[in-house]
Amino acid sequence: MTSAITPQRRIVVRRKVDVAGIAFALILSIVIIFPLLVVATWAFTEVWRYPNIIPQQFGLRFWEQTLNRADVWNALTLSLRLSAVVTLASAVICLPAAYAFARMEFPGRNLLFFSFLAGHAFPKFGLLIAIAAIFLQLDLIGTFWGVVIIQVVSTLLFMIWIPVAAFRAVDRRMEEAARDVGAGPFRVFWSITLPQAGPTIAAAVLLTFVGTFYEVEGAWLIGAPGIRTMPVLMISFINNQLVVQYGAVLSVILWVPSFVALIFARRVINGGSFARGFGG
Amino acid sequence: MSETAGPAATPLAVRAERRRPVGLLLVAAPVLLMAWLIIWPIISAIIRTMWRPDATGNVGFNLSSYAFFFSDQYSLNNLFITLWTTGVCAALLLLICLPIAIYLRFATGRLPTYVQALAIFPLFVPSIILAYAFIRVLGPNGMVDILLNSVGLPKIDTPYLSPWGPVIGLVWDNIPLTVLILLAGLGSVPTAAIEAARDVGARRMQVFWYIILPRIGNSILVALSFAVLGIFSAFTLPYILGPAAPEMMGPFMQRTFRDLYDPLNAMTQAVITFGFCIAFGLFYVRSVARNQGGGA
Repeated sequence: MTSAITPQRRIVVRRKVDVAGIAFALILSIVIIFPLLVVATWAFTEVWRYPNIIPQQFGLRFWEQTLNRADVWNALTLSLRLSAVVTLASAVICLPAAYAFARMEFPGRNLLFFSFLAGHAFPKFGLLIAIAAIFLQLDLIGTFWGVVIIQVVSTLLFMIWIPVAAFRAVDRRMEEAARDVGAGPFRVFWSITLPQAGPTIAAAVLLTFVGTFYEVEGAWLIGAPGIRTMPVLMISFINNQLVVQYGAVLSVILWVPSFVALIFARRVINGGSFARGFGG
Repeated sequence: MSETAGPAATPLAVRAERRRPVGLLLVAAPVLLMAWLIIWPIISAIIRTMWRPDATGNVGFNLSSYAFFFSDQYSLNNLFITLWTTGVCAALLLLICLPIAIYLRFATGRLPTYVQALAIFPLFVPSIILAYAFIRVLGPNGMVDILLNSVGLPKIDTPYLSPWGPVIGLVWDNIPLTVLILLAGLGSVPTAAIEAARDVGARRMQVFWYIILPRIGNSILVALSFAVLGIFSAFTLPYILGPAAPEMMGPFMQRTFRDLYDPLNAMTQAVITFGFCIAFGLFYVRSVARNQGGGA
């Protein structure tokens, strides 16, 4: 940064960057934002016949119709209940384990820690079929708890690895200092460890909830036909080619949790540990 | 995994020794769950498809369900369309994401922030909404048809319900993590090395080929492995966007298991997908473990 040529070079670089950057920004905007805008437009459309570029009539009629369908409400409450139970169960069994992996020595710790990767070393749907074959013998197919168990299993890696990274990032010297002045282990955990690790862990819990809400494959394979979550209902709306707007309205409603996640997930995703958790 | 090392570690280590059973106890629940529902089903699927009664009722080593899969033209077509889709998606992902990641790594200013936000955005679009948006935009009489029609051009040959449907959907869906993994890998390419090469007159392609590529080869393989593992047995997007026949392994397994009530052949198909992905899976696990072990 001290050499005299730096400013000049930076100008050259910046001019080149702009071309590439504008191209990327334009293409990605069209490919990624445009399809979603089309869906959003459909949700607020009452009449849109083929060759017109703009809908003939806007309105909220289909919101009313969609929200008055009993299957939508059943699916919504079921999805929320399912996600809450799965997230709670996952937090209860994973967070203490994450603390132990981050802070305690015990035989086989590394092996057990990395063994959670096993779930990611196999193609997911093949693994689900193998699990479903076990569930078939246990009569868990088509039951609420069958879906809960399979969804908890798919949250394990995320709910252990991210909190482990969070616990490890806590400043150990502060904990030791607190201990030196006489704080007990629970006091240290409550006043030092948790405030530092808490936000990341909260983000992991939130992402687990949202991820479970959208989980399709386990719910579809294990839950059908009795358990119809929102995404599963959406698949049947698409396949049965019901009124176009039903799917659009559901898409907008379904996207709300994702939007919340988008806001809160920055902490987890921008920290390097997220990409590293995927092996980057 | 050396975070207990260091000058202040001795008293902690002594304390940790005393808590040994507590640590094991705390990790027992998820470990047992994982052993029961990840490790055991895989072993069980392999055993139950290979060690079972034959036509005369004698239980023993029996590969007939595999022989059926590899002699059945329909199953083979499904396997080939899966391999084709996976290969095309992997190639497209690399072609799309590598330039984006390199741009994001070296650019400065506001525009890269916007590009990065866009590239990561699909992470927050559930695949089911993506599938619906796909149909509304690229499906018959979709938005693209509308726009083409308005300027007097013919309609597109829609990729909906063709093999290109899942390809487009899966690439869209996999862009964020591929970009993130490549970007993390590019972090290890020192800016000074690039600048030095540029100073002595290296062209962009030379910089890419001789300086960037050798340093991110591992990240590229990790990103590819991750994508392959996800795409090979993808279910939702191929099920909604793909053709009814041949179908990809995900929908094929689902139909065999749920609609044909044939767990044996479904498990056989699952074990075959494991076999095709095992190299990617092992490589992926090894890379992640090495990364975590080295820096954690």
